[in-house]
Amino acid sequence: MGLNVIITCLLNGLAMGMVYALIAMGIILLIRAVGVLNFAQGDLLMLGAYVTFALKVDLKLPLWLMIPVALLCFCAIALIFMFSIYWPLRDASYPAAIIIGTMGASIVIKEICMLIWGGLPLRMPPLLINPETGGGRLITIGNVNLQWQYIITGLVGAIAIGAVFFLFENLYAGKMLQAASQDKFAAELIGIPTMITIAATYIISISLACIGGYLVAPIFTVSASLGTLLLRAFAGVIIGGLGNIKGAIIGSLIVGIIEAFASVRLSTYKDAVIFLVLLVFLVVRPQGLFGTTIGDKA
Amino acid sequence: MKGKLKTSTFLILLFCILFVIAVPMVFHGYSLMVVNLSLIYAITTLGISVMLGMGGQLSFAGLAFMGAGAYFIANVCTGRLGFKMATLPALLLAPVFCGILAYVLGLILLKLKGTFFTFATIALVQVSFSFFMNYRPLFGGPDGISGIPSLSIGNYSFSSNNKMFYLLVVILAVVALIVERIRVTKFGRSLASVRDNDIAALSLGVNVYMTKVKAFTLSGVLGGLAGALYAMQGNFVASDLFAYNNATQFIIMAMVGGVNNTFGSIIGSVLITVLPEVLRSLERYLQLFYGLAVIVLMVFMPMGLAGVFKQLAKRLKMKKKTSSKASEGVIK
Amino acid sequence: MKEILKLEHVDKHFGGLHVTNDVSFSVKCGQVTGLIGPNGAGKTTLMNIISGIYLQDSGKVYFDGKDVSQVPPYTRAIMGIGRTFQAPRFLQRSNIRDNLLIGSDLSENKSFVKSFFSRQNMNFETELNRYMKVAGFGIDLDDDITSLTYGQQKLLEIVRSLLAHPKLLLVDEPAAGLNSAEIENAMALLNIAADEKGIGVLLIEHSMDMVMNICKEIVVINFGKVIATGTPEEVSSNEEVIAAYLGKDELD
Repeated sequence: MGLNVIITCLLNGLAMGMVYALIAMGIILLIRAVGVLNFAQGDLLMLGAYVTFALKVDLKLPLWLMIPVALLCFCAIALIFMFSIYWPLRDASYPAAIIIGTMGASIVIKEICMLIWGGLPLRMPPLLINPETGGGRLITIGNVNLQWQYIITGLVGAIAIGAVFFLFENLYAGKMLQAASQDKFAAELIGIPTMITIAATYIISISLACIGGYLVAPIFTVSASLGTLLLRAFAGVIIGGLGNIKGAIIGSLIVGIIEAFASVRLSTYKDAVIFLVLLVFLVVRPQGLFGTTIGDKA
Repeated sequence: MKGKLKTSTFLILLFCILFVIAVPMVFHGYSLMVVNLSLIYAITTLGISVMLGMGGQLSFAGLAFMGAGAYFIANVCTGRLGFKMATLPALLLAPVFCGILAYVLGLILLKLKGTFFTFATIALVQVSFSFFMNYRPLFGGPDGISGIPSLSIGNYSFSSNNKMFYLLVVILAVVALIVERIRVTKFGRSLASVRDNDIAALSLGVNVYMTKVKAFTLSGVLGGLAGALYAMQGNFVASDLFAYNNATQFIIMAMVGGVNNTFGSIIGSVLITVLPEVLRSLERYLQLFYGLAVIVLMVFMPMGLAGVFKQLAKRLKMKKKTSSKASEGVIK
Repeated sequence: MKEILKLEHVDKHFGGLHVTNDVSFSVKCGQVTGLIGPNGAGKTTLMNIISGIYLQDSGKVYFDGKDVSQVPPYTRAIMGIGRTFQAPRFLQRSNIRDNLLIGSDLSENKSFVKSFFSRQNMNFETELNRYMKVAGFGIDLDDDITSLTYGQQKLLEIVRSLLAHPKLLLVDEPAAGLNSAEIENAMALLNIAADEKGIGVLLIEHSMDMVMNICKEIVVINFGKVIATGTPEEVSSNEEVIAAYLGKDELD
């Protein structure tokens, strides 16, 4: 494998890994805030891709307008999602009921997208267009050609994740979100408005996924298959250690890199490779790279 | 309450008899095949119900075992591997093969708790699907394997949809009775204790780990049986059925019917498989309604259809019951 | 009388906390031994070590003459160690019948095949009826377990463990949350266990009435250490014990 191939793989892998990290982060935040595995997270990424496609290609909004409008849309999507799936099911006696509810949501989102935009994949132009080919612009370092879209994906993803991190670690609002997610009852007792914090968590999680959709759309085309990226994010979450945000991000990046390298040699089996690695991790080190083993209290 | 038991069993039996009589009269050809498929899926769903409803473990693996069973028959009965086995022994061997597979995998995977285990089963489905779709020598690649013989016992061949229907009804009935009986055995109670209170289970002598492994093995056996029947029903196996998206379908089938109810699993499977065919006219919006229905169902009826019936029955019983109980001893 | 349980120099740390400190005592068959001490002294931890849910850091646990220190909890249960919990642990989604059958399953030890084909084990009913008379309330086996009051559940948990025919019964604060009539019934059940069935009962309790009433021997724990053992009279006049409960200042 030549050096340029290795570097391209690394970059592409990191970029895709960043997208998975965006999904993964949303998943972990939701697990911690409401205790539920959101099986619709991947479809929310897809929805984000479709919505930004509509804004950019159908409505032809300029970039400076499109971004705030898109973010507003993402907030709206998050709130609708929360009130239709989480709110009615929050006290369900069967924990599996919420999970199945998200599976139902996954189907609904896919179908709505298909009804509105049709079943054929849509081409989303990359952010920086090569005037000659009409495709994504390349940057050449040495004798390696790298697509700008991948670089942008990685950077924007990192900034988004960094912003959320900053919020959680440094701002008071972030501390409130953490408190509410760790112990809802206690948080309410000290005056934290948990409904608002949960709504905020939903907005952050789903916006991250939708941003990921916007970033990845030019690479993959906008179609229903974007939803399956969820499984890669699951793998990343486990490899990094369930419940650990830092771990989920690093795990997702690792998954992205594994996928990139696997697609060079064993492209048809790259799914098998990723998930075999996951299985090995689960068996050998179930707490992931950064998780801690939690014992049971009798 | 001997009286109460009889009523619900009687109703179920009545429904089954009507079903068996009415279906072949109403459904023919393609639609009968769909009904047959729903009965086959019901077997897999029972496996999911055993793991989730009885044992409290969400497992996606049923689909992988269904694939294993289907491809087992596909290879063994068509001579692809150099030898050809008769269909009847193959049908009996497939669940055993899958059961062994499930046992070994279960020993490894059930060292994981809760969500970790669920993720591991998702990974299992992904890995097996990837191989099913790509490894031509054993699985025929994207084109699948065709020319699989139908089940034949002696000179009698179950080659028509009609014959398969009656066969499947019998097999499903036997399987359902077995699963239902398991509920009242020591193993069934041990499994329930694993689901509801595993620390109490340990202190009551239940080997939590091995109980889960046994349940997983059972779900593997059921999946394998379903897969084998699937191969013999359609005479053809391709990998699309065993994709991750369909795994969620089976879980939904289990929940809709009532996750801890044998008859519920069957009803759920039949409803979700057959209804789309019946509602063909709504085709464009069908999936959308389906997704919405799942959400609504989970909000209002997480206990499934069977659970709703049970609640109604309980309310009727409460109305009849007088408020006084004997102050000592046990009442029946 | 035979020793059914023997602890030797059992030690347990949770992080920096020394919860069990060189604990040695024994429990004899056919009598109730009390395990008392102020809150946080480490009594429930000891119970968890004996039943196998926690593993001790050092020291040995002998049950019925055998070293069970490394034996997993479910095997200990099968060998004959039964227990109740501070808050009753039942299967919330099952009815009373199934919850009790789990108890008697343990005493039966039927194989799966036999269990599949034979009639349901209902010969526990005579035994159950008798215990329920002592427990003082009636039950309908088909009811949900959630239909019982807290006190009834606690008593039923004792009944469940008796149905398993244990050799050693660990009882964790049975009187907590019970009214005086229910406490009487609990004591009656425990007396049946000890006097009639020859079970060795280890009782954690704060209610001194109960302890002084039915215990033949008492072990007192404070800060994870055994500070006294003996008959109720010996222990209640022991200065260290009084100091532990009332605080040293009270004595001076």
